[in-house]
Amino acid sequence: MTTSTFVAGRGFLYIFDARAKLFTVLLLCVMVFLPIRQIGLWTLVAAAFLSAWYATDFKQALQPIKTILFLLVVMILFTPLTYRGGEVLVRLGEFPLVTKEALVNLNILVARFLGITYICTLYMWTTPMADINLALRWYGLSYHAALVLTLAFRFVPYIADSFRMIQDSHALRSATVADGERTGGRQRLADVMPTVTAALVVALKSIPHLAMSLEHRGLGRDTKRTSYRRLVAKGGLFTHLLVSVMIPTVFWLVFNTL
Amino acid sequence: MKSTDSSKMTALRIALMAVLTATVVVFTLLVRVPTPIKGYISLCDVVITFSAFLFGPWVAAIAGGLGTGIADLIGGYAQWAPLSFVIHGAQGLLIAVIARSGIKTGVPGDANILKLVLAGVVGMVVMAGGYYIAGGVLYGFEAALVEIPLNLLQSGVGVVLGIAVSRAVLKAYPPVRSLSL
Amino acid sequence: MNTALDIADLSFTYRRYGAQAPPDPVLRAVDLSLQEGSKALILGLPDSGKSTLSKILCALVPRHFDGDLAGTVRIGGTDISDCTPWELMTRVTLVAQNPQEQLLMTTCADEVAFPLESLGIERTALVDRVRNALQRWGLYSMAQVNPQEMSGGERKRLLLAVTEAVDAPLWIMDEPFDDLDEQWRHLLLSRILEKKGTVVVFASRYLDEFRGNFDSYCHLLGGTVGCKSEEEIVVEYDRECDLQFTPMQEELYELADHTLRCRNLSIVHPRRSVSSDQPFSLSVPEFHIASGEVVALVGPNGAGKSTLSRVLCGLDPLVEGSITIDGSVIAGKGLQTRVGYLFQNPDYGIFLPTVRDELGWSLHQIRHLGAQEREQMVSSCARLFHLDLDDNPAMMGYGARKQLQAAVYYLLDRPFVIIDELDSGVTYAAAFEIVSLLRKNGAAIVIITHDRTFARNIAQRQYTIAGGVVSPSEVGV
Repeated sequence: MTTSTFVAGRGFLYIFDARAKLFTVLLLCVMVFLPIRQIGLWTLVAAAFLSAWYATDFKQALQPIKTILFLLVVMILFTPLTYRGGEVLVRLGEFPLVTKEALVNLNILVARFLGITYICTLYMWTTPMADINLALRWYGLSYHAALVLTLAFRFVPYIADSFRMIQDSHALRSATVADGERTGGRQRLADVMPTVTAALVVALKSIPHLAMSLEHRGLGRDTKRTSYRRLVAKGGLFTHLLVSVMIPTVFWLVFNTL
Repeated sequence: MKSTDSSKMTALRIALMAVLTATVVVFTLLVRVPTPIKGYISLCDVVITFSAFLFGPWVAAIAGGLGTGIADLIGGYAQWAPLSFVIHGAQGLLIAVIARSGIKTGVPGDANILKLVLAGVVGMVVMAGGYYIAGGVLYGFEAALVEIPLNLLQSGVGVVLGIAVSRAVLKAYPPVRSLSL
Repeated sequence: MNTALDIADLSFTYRRYGAQAPPDPVLRAVDLSLQEGSKALILGLPDSGKSTLSKILCALVPRHFDGDLAGTVRIGGTDISDCTPWELMTRVTLVAQNPQEQLLMTTCADEVAFPLESLGIERTALVDRVRNALQRWGLYSMAQVNPQEMSGGERKRLLLAVTEAVDAPLWIMDEPFDDLDEQWRHLLLSRILEKKGTVVVFASRYLDEFRGNFDSYCHLLGGTVGCKSEEEIVVEYDRECDLQFTPMQEELYELADHTLRCRNLSIVHPRRSVSSDQPFSLSVPEFHIASGEVVALVGPNGAGKSTLSRVLCGLDPLVEGSITIDGSVIAGKGLQTRVGYLFQNPDYGIFLPTVRDELGWSLHQIRHLGAQEREQMVSSCARLFHLDLDDNPAMMGYGARKQLQAAVYYLLDRPFVIIDELDSGVTYAAAFEIVSLLRKNGAAIVIITHDRTFARNIAQRQYTIAGGVVSPSEVGV
């Protein structure tokens, strides 16, 4: 199982410091909930999409839409188009089917959701996990918490592989000539308890070894820990932070409805 | 031997949280069961309940929150990560607090069925309710209603299986008790 | 000269969970004294206590694994019973047999850097040490690669790179030459010999690299360590190993005769490898096995032995070709019911509290038996495989867990059984016994191994995998 969230690409976003970038993401995600003109929201979505396209390629840039496609459909189907009294656009006899307000509401919801999705996804694509970890630490995350994060990533492939093998082992063990082709629901449920239990036991068994290794490699020593990795902002962190504040500020100034 | 209990706890506690977090990640992404109401539920809540029951509120909150958060990041649902972190973190925390009320450390004995049911219900409300609110803010409250049945099913199944699996693991791997710090 | 390592009257017994009988000590009255700068080789069969001893020397056991410890260990004069593992890291480094137990980080560079960070080494020096260590072990190009995606040999080299970077005066190495190619074995040997400090190497096979290179030759037998001259130790160890070889019985089977035959198989497997983007493909022009036979499948690590096995037992699909059993083409589920596969890791099947439960569960699966009859079968099976019915499977020793795995398959009575790397981690005797027990009912056994000697002694025929092709070859080649 690949645990990589990073997508190699080109452009400013890859040089943009992880700490400053995170601040921008936060500000923009808050901003989309403030009074912003619809055109502003869609500009943001377009900008994000184009950035994604420039950084990687068209097919990759479509990925975020694919992941939320189901939800977009649900939104369009279920967001009522008739409430919020107001100018009626489509009428079926006496019944208002679609009102302008409702369409505006739906429009905003879709743009906002797309915007947030693209912004968060772009952050993950353009920032290696190690850098995100360092950024969080810069913002105050404790070393131990950051270590838990790193270790979790280290163990995901191991546990995933173990689980697959456990499923295979179990399938072989419980294969009987009496079975027809194993059907979905019922058989699968009977497998759940044994495989989940075995998987948890395998995971738990690795805990003492991990603890031993951490201690053997020096976790717990009095000496102050140094750091092999560090974040370097090209041109200075201050510049990056300045840019990170400027982007949402400009956006706000141009598109706010106040 | 020098008494080093508190420092032993550091490495062991970190290891415990990391491995359980990774397990939640794997279960969220890989361990899926088809349901009669079209769609899949993931068994991540089983591991969260398991962590809550055996290891207490903080471990369960981290395993649940961080685990589902990381799974969202890996799975391509980055916008959900901070929301899952809060929702499943709260879920793990509350299930632990209720199911283990009255127990400071170690494993609950045959826990009071009432506590378990209450913990389960609270877990379901927090999970399904949390995603409803988050979804509502993110893409509209009406659309967010659609997810509720599946979320309730997932968290419900999660609690029931979680307790069952906890019992099975306690019997199959007795040293888990000494991990319950 | 100072004594680098001094072990006096050390004994250790693991805590046992569940079983009635009191546990046997793993180590009894171990005495060993090594001068600074000396290189010691300790030979011992799998499960003889090598890993336990190596962990005790780093103050990791009984800290993390419950048990009773008696005796003293001194490293550089200091009694380690008062030390925490992180205090000892400046004095001793452990290289575990299974790298998965020690790996912590998501890239090679971070893995080497972690202990150096703990030591508080200043950044520029740290970066240099990481680079040098990785370069020395040929991993510099993989500095940003995730160790989970590397092969066993590469991971072993990573552990060795970390060990060198930390540069503690005492190295405890548990089967370090395992999994390494010849080039890296030579390098490891020269690093050991050049090192100014003390090195202890544990091994279960006497390799050419050991000849004449060590100062002390010892044998871990029956929980104690005895040191003698090189020739004496080799003879003594050979004798212990020879006792393991019992000739395979040539028994005539009156029972049902099944044949499995493969014709022109083509298998493609998306390979999870950093060195090639090509999917891995394997071609099997011909492969057959009949009831009662023992056939070896030999090849280096990564050659495709597991890939082929997974196809034979129906877990993975074929691209081309056919597998026939007794004349009819069988695939998928059909193969799963007829071909068993004992994974190298026995823990994949363990989920119940007692041996009795595990064995009973197998029986549940195949036929409807009366409780009496089931109990009978479970008891006699446990007896055959030296298992205590009340023992807790997850906490049994590795050898016992392998026995349990085999016992489970014994009860399943599959006509074909594939056993993956049986000889690594269990003694030859145990491996032989497992194979002969599984053959009792006429099962055909495919043994996967990379140990030619083992193959020669256990199999009647052999197939070798090389360059993506499976071809018959002479046994033991």
